[in-house]
Amino acid sequence: MAEDQPQTPMRAPLTAESWMTGYWGPIDPELHPAVHAVRDRFPEAFIDAVNFRDEMTIRVECARLRDVIEFLRDQPEQRYNLLTDVTAVDMVRLRDEPRFDIVVQLYSIPNRVRLRVKAGVDDGETVPSLVPVHAAANWMEREVYDMFGIVFEDHPDLRRILLADDWDEGHPLRKDYPLRGFREYVQPGFTAPAPRIRSRLRRPQ
Amino acid sequence: MVIDFSQPTPVEISEERQLTESRREMVLNMGPQHPSTHGVLRVMLTLDGEVIVNCDPIIGYLHRGIEKLGESHRYSQFVPWTDRTDYVAAPSNNLGYVLAVEKLCGIEAPERAQYWRMIMGELTRIASHLVWLGTHALDIGAMSISLYCFREREMILDIFEKFCGARLTTNMMEIGGFSRPIPAELPNMVRTFLAEFPKGQRDYEEILSKNPIWLSRTRGVGVIEPDVAVAYGLTGACLRGSGINYDVRKAQPYLFYDRLDFEIPLGSHGDVFDRYLVRMEEMRQALKIIEQCLDQVPTDGPLSLHGSSYVIPPHDTVLTTAEDMQRHFIWVIKGFSPPKGEVYQAIEHSKGELGYYIVSDGSPIPYRMRVRAPDFVNLQSLPYMAQGAMLADVVAMIGTIDIVLGSVDR
Repeated sequence: MAEDQPQTPMRAPLTAESWMTGYWGPIDPELHPAVHAVRDRFPEAFIDAVNFRDEMTIRVECARLRDVIEFLRDQPEQRYNLLTDVTAVDMVRLRDEPRFDIVVQLYSIPNRVRLRVKAGVDDGETVPSLVPVHAAANWMEREVYDMFGIVFEDHPDLRRILLADDWDEGHPLRKDYPLRGFREYVQPGFTAPAPRIRSRLRRPQ
Repeated sequence: MVIDFSQPTPVEISEERQLTESRREMVLNMGPQHPSTHGVLRVMLTLDGEVIVNCDPIIGYLHRGIEKLGESHRYSQFVPWTDRTDYVAAPSNNLGYVLAVEKLCGIEAPERAQYWRMIMGELTRIASHLVWLGTHALDIGAMSISLYCFREREMILDIFEKFCGARLTTNMMEIGGFSRPIPAELPNMVRTFLAEFPKGQRDYEEILSKNPIWLSRTRGVGVIEPDVAVAYGLTGACLRGSGINYDVRKAQPYLFYDRLDFEIPLGSHGDVFDRYLVRMEEMRQALKIIEQCLDQVPTDGPLSLHGSSYVIPPHDTVLTTAEDMQRHFIWVIKGFSPPKGEVYQAIEHSKGELGYYIVSDGSPIPYRMRVRAPDFVNLQSLPYMAQGAMLADVVAMIGTIDIVLGSVDR
């Protein structure tokens, strides 16, 4: 792993306002090497590349997600070898379809650069699991399954992780799941369920 | 539907299976109330004699739905919740969250506040490592070291208490800086700690580093090879103990870490002892960082970016001027609306890379709030370490990952 050690020198002290730029590669998607590489290798799966606050996000087709991540890990110029995070976002209030976004955060230890890869998936569809590529995806995908009900194909051990094994109330991080759950609980020492508090924290619909 | 708490829940306990005439496989349930699991971690161990065949960590006993709560509170209301994720290193959690929100809003705290954030972050790192060292050594059998560790940790908690009134769940940082003034005696308290801590650290190392029992319990135990460490997504001392040089403070400096002179310790064997050495050296480097920060921090100047509409107005002008009173009212009642977008901000927590991924839809409440907890990811490597190891080494492996179940389960 000696060649994995960073070669680039330390960044010079930066001025105010810019102390967190440059960690995601060039701001312009046209100049970003990872965007080029993915677009050239997977022209049919590449959708677009978006930059917000200097963070580069590549959107790809869900069916090729694992291939893209594996390509980014193995390609000698990119080498996004550290899978930082796998999570999902329920986009039901922001767009019609697909319902969910799978969000994969990558980091390249040799190049010191981050990248985010997103793939849209509808309710009921399956996502190719990333466990064959990165072992780190195991528990993160279990958490996504637990919290969103998204099923990962070829996952070795897809079961609930944070909630109880026999949890039958659905998936809490979906937007149609109420904050306090669907069920009424009688706390020990009380005779009736605690009343529901109507919060004034209503999101504008 | 009403849950009846009076009925006992069936609990599976250990079971045995005869494999062959002479071999017997036993499933042993360790936890969730076992004292050496550092909380409510439960590990199902499949044993062949004293050798571990399989190991399945079961988590979630402390799950409180922090991410769901984050998606139902305003941005400023979520800061106290971040204390409750990793409760032995609360200011670091605050720091990661406020940096993510500041990045989303496009603002930056004043220089003096950023220096004090670094000082508090490094004090937190030392406090967290002291809790780790005390409990880890206690698991392995060195009883007295935990008392020494908590003696020095007390000084750090006193500094926190002087600054913000709380010792554990500090709620120290605000979006845009600090809302409280720095007490005049605080720098001297920190300097006193800097002068006294090396002596305490020498005590720990005298007890542990050449202790034959400690060496035989930690050397060559729980080895993680460098490529495996990267594949499992490990960060923090677990990754650096295997010799991979990745520290967010050096690789992608946030705050003013690029102005400071410090080193990142690396291990070479990837075992429990190397990770112990890495954390001990990290504490020494943290002292170095704090000393430089105290030398460089401006003694005067604003602690918060009060001009911005994303930041709470200062307390004294809220009570004296009409404009700030109105702004304060709106900030508290309505909250502020950052632009639409998504950010991911990572910091070097004492346990690894702590990341906050926030999706904003332009309303005062985050649309998605993801907490990337370092020890949740690091704990995945426990089955890899434990397979083929002896039963007695499991407590050393759980200790070396440095888990806090509030952060693992969120």
